[in-house]
Amino acid sequence: MIQPLQFFLIFLKASLLSFGGLGNLPFLHADLIALGWAQEPDFLTAIAVGQMSPGPSGLWSISLGYLTYGWPGAALSLIALLVPPFLILPLVALYTRVDGHPGVKSFSNGLMLGAIGLLLGTAGVLSGTVITDAWALVIVAVTAGLALTKRLPTIVILLLAALAGVVIYT
Amino acid sequence: MPQFRESLWRIFATFFVIGLQSFGGGTATFFLIHQASRRHGWLPEEQFLQYWALSQMTPGIGLAKMTLLIGKRLHGWPGLAAAIAGLMLPSALITTLMTAGYAVVQDRPLVKAAMRGILPATIGLTLALSWDLGKPLLIVARADGKAHLALAAGLILSAALLFTLAQASPVVILLLAGALFWLSRGIFKPQRPENPAADA
Repeated sequence: MIQPLQFFLIFLKASLLSFGGLGNLPFLHADLIALGWAQEPDFLTAIAVGQMSPGPSGLWSISLGYLTYGWPGAALSLIALLVPPFLILPLVALYTRVDGHPGVKSFSNGLMLGAIGLLLGTAGVLSGTVITDAWALVIVAVTAGLALTKRLPTIVILLLAALAGVVIYT
Repeated sequence: MPQFRESLWRIFATFFVIGLQSFGGGTATFFLIHQASRRHGWLPEEQFLQYWALSQMTPGIGLAKMTLLIGKRLHGWPGLAAAIAGLMLPSALITTLMTAGYAVVQDRPLVKAAMRGILPATIGLTLALSWDLGKPLLIVARADGKAHLALAAGLILSAALLFTLAQASPVVILLLAGALFWLSRGIFKPQRPENPAADA
């Protein structure tokens, strides 16, 4: 029998100990399997849906919440995902007070360069599973080019990519 | 009474549309948030990037943090609520509905083929976004001399490699990058004054 409060706290803990994406997976996996509230196939389905569904990839745990505890589970896991991001507000408030000091400004520039590196790194990590053939590389190159020209709305670019997938792989 | 920079409705509607159309995971969402911020002139590129860097350092979903920060900046606490509700409600609802219907669609070859097109596209969007965000910083670095340009480009690449190959923690990577760049300022004196007013 699932206890709503404990269910929520498990999801909240996982979200507090991770930085988005699948970072909360190990915690949820350990806790929910131990309690017998979720089974392995629930995780596989939730991860697959999370890759397809819109929005941040961290939303995969909403899918897991639904699979294990229906609509209340989806709602509780959404709330658990919304709480930790608020910790950014005090950090930014603190940072704004020291920003403008020359030393902080250089530090900040280093942070930004590092953040761009992380973004490229994310693309690198993703490409390990996503780029399985030459066509995938072509799609990467063409979409990057189309996005840089800023002529097409992003949804059109994604739809064209979906269409390309259908034409190439069926 | 503070002057609000954007109406609540516009904030909600913009994030709602982003939440609806960002198929293929967070990278598409990030691309769309950046595009909206630029189109509406919501915040300067440098501020956007600083928020993003800081967002890597606290737990939880980074894009939710960006959304909270942008919403709050545009219209205070109500703006924050409008932005995060706009982003999360449609995506959470669609995610749940897709889970409910997953058994029906999971083995359709058409769905699989479409996803095989969309996933590489999100990598393409991420590369374009990295370029858009990185270019202004590299231009500033070049103005400070070749050594700075090389250092900036080197930092970006090392951070990317550390993250991809060594699976280092993002927080550690960012703190290292900040510390290195800060130290470098002492070694290579920039030709440009470092006073923020001169940056404007």
